[in-house]
Amino acid sequence: MSEKIYALLLRLFPSHFRKEYGEESLQLFRDRARDEKGFTPRLRLWFDMLADLAISVPREYFYAEPELVAASGQRLGATPSFYFLGGESPRPGALFLGAVLSLTALVTFSTLLTQGGVHRPRNASVRQLRQSAPPARQVAGDRNSLATGANETLASASFGQGDSGSSAQVAPNEISTAVVAPVGHGNVDAAERQRILNAAIVNLKQHYIYPDVAQKMAEALLAKEKRGEYDAITDGDAFAHQLTSQMRDVSHDMHLELVYSQDTLPPQPTETEQTPEELARYREAMKRINCAFEKVETLPRNIGYLKLNFFPDRSVCEQTATTAMASLNRADALIVDLRDNRGGMPDMVALLASYLFDHPEYFYNPRENTTQESWTHSPVPGDKLADKPVYVLTSSRTFSGAEQFCYDLKMLKRITLVGETTGGGAHSGVWYRIDDHFGMGIPETKPINPYSTPDWEGTGVEPDVKVKAADALSTAVKLAQTKLQKK
Amino acid sequence: MPKRKLDPLPSAAFQILLSLAEEDLHGYAIMRQVAEQTGGRMRLGPGTLYSSIQSLLEEKFIEELEPREDSELGQERRRYYRLTAAGRKLARSEADRLAGFLRVARSRKILRGDYV
Repeated sequence: MSEKIYALLLRLFPSHFRKEYGEESLQLFRDRARDEKGFTPRLRLWFDMLADLAISVPREYFYAEPELVAASGQRLGATPSFYFLGGESPRPGALFLGAVLSLTALVTFSTLLTQGGVHRPRNASVRQLRQSAPPARQVAGDRNSLATGANETLASASFGQGDSGSSAQVAPNEISTAVVAPVGHGNVDAAERQRILNAAIVNLKQHYIYPDVAQKMAEALLAKEKRGEYDAITDGDAFAHQLTSQMRDVSHDMHLELVYSQDTLPPQPTETEQTPEELARYREAMKRINCAFEKVETLPRNIGYLKLNFFPDRSVCEQTATTAMASLNRADALIVDLRDNRGGMPDMVALLASYLFDHPEYFYNPRENTTQESWTHSPVPGDKLADKPVYVLTSSRTFSGAEQFCYDLKMLKRITLVGETTGGGAHSGVWYRIDDHFGMGIPETKPINPYSTPDWEGTGVEPDVKVKAADALSTAVKLAQTKLQKK
Repeated sequence: MPKRKLDPLPSAAFQILLSLAEEDLHGYAIMRQVAEQTGGRMRLGPGTLYSSIQSLLEEKFIEELEPREDSELGQERRRYYRLTAAGRKLARSEADRLAGFLRVARSRKILRGDYV
């Protein structure tokens, strides 16, 4: 290593010196390095080398042979000729200047690349609601969903847990643009259609996960446009639907969509780092609601009961989570109540799931690319729940991350799901605002679903025991008691 | 091309000449010999060492021998250097010059004793 550094430093010498004595100098360095081991001798070695460089390099350049002088002696009478300084390396000053200039250029270009042009957030996501669900479109960044979680809980807390009205489902920063597009009032013209089409094609080509499919979609859309298929469409919503279905015809990707909104769409959400204030606010909110761990109890016959209303950010709530799980550790059976759980952070989902296994399990998350993080952190030291029966309670409000918990554990045959079919929000695309009324969601991840069953997107997770949400707890308690009795 | 100056003889060049007085040495051995004969005060770095060697070679005060291995230091072939008659003469005149200084120093009571 140090020899390499010295070899680099040697390049400071003029080429005539390096040619003649470069190898020797390196050899000398090697010899000394071999003979002088230990911290002090090594330090002295480097001191010597650097001092030597400082003295010798300028001297060598001073004595450097200007080859032009030598060459001019051989110049032939009338023959036009020119000379160049062959083999001479640039001087350190020139090298330094070059380095500074290229660094400046690099910094300038990268700054321009990131700052310039149209700024797009990388992570804004569109979660799809079921067709039957209220037409609120949730737009939130992955990072932002941290804040979303807090707000959602605050919202639902203020509306009361029992409130099942859709108003409670829409958190303040889940931008609830009504995508209910009233039918046609002649609200798009040819120029607008052209603009939207072009923007959609650009977005597809730039962002869709499969570039070849994006190309095919673009061609299909352009072909239809050429045939004049869009000419008669004056209704924005109809136009959006048309484009959406045509994109899906080619890609068979149900998460691609183009959306029309009669109301002005909010500005493109920009992804920003969480400020300390936001984090402090989030912590405060979490503290107030005990990180959404609403109830941690032991029911008769030693059945543990956990009511969790969303999966909070692990970095803030890990302590609460581990404390809660520790107090449930001695239970003979566990009931996890997710009837009011609207999702949250995948890392908390995985953390809680970790307690239910004695070995790491692959935990499928349709929102993220498959990585090493896709596994549970089982076994959890001291955990006794890994072999206990677990019942998870669901309702039609159980959504998103909570559904991931249900779906994966169901697929792993680890739990018994009791209650109603869940909400059905699995996928996310990245939201791209095109203009005031049009935007599109484009999936950008390709996670691996290890299960043959399609995931819960649009359909929800089917319970094993189908009962009304209100009866789910009593049903699960009975099931658990029967099971424990048999033991 | 400006001549490398050996007049006055730089102390590094003088020490190199002295180190070669008894036997032919390669670069690293010269460096070690010089360190030894100066009580560790002069550790020649590669730049100083080889530029001095180059000047001494140009003025034919030393000569370069066929590269060969140093059995103590492994398989690498090393260039060895030998003091020429001119080099020996130069070293002697430099030593005389320094001895002259010593005499002056002693006469001014700066240096005691009768050594040298």
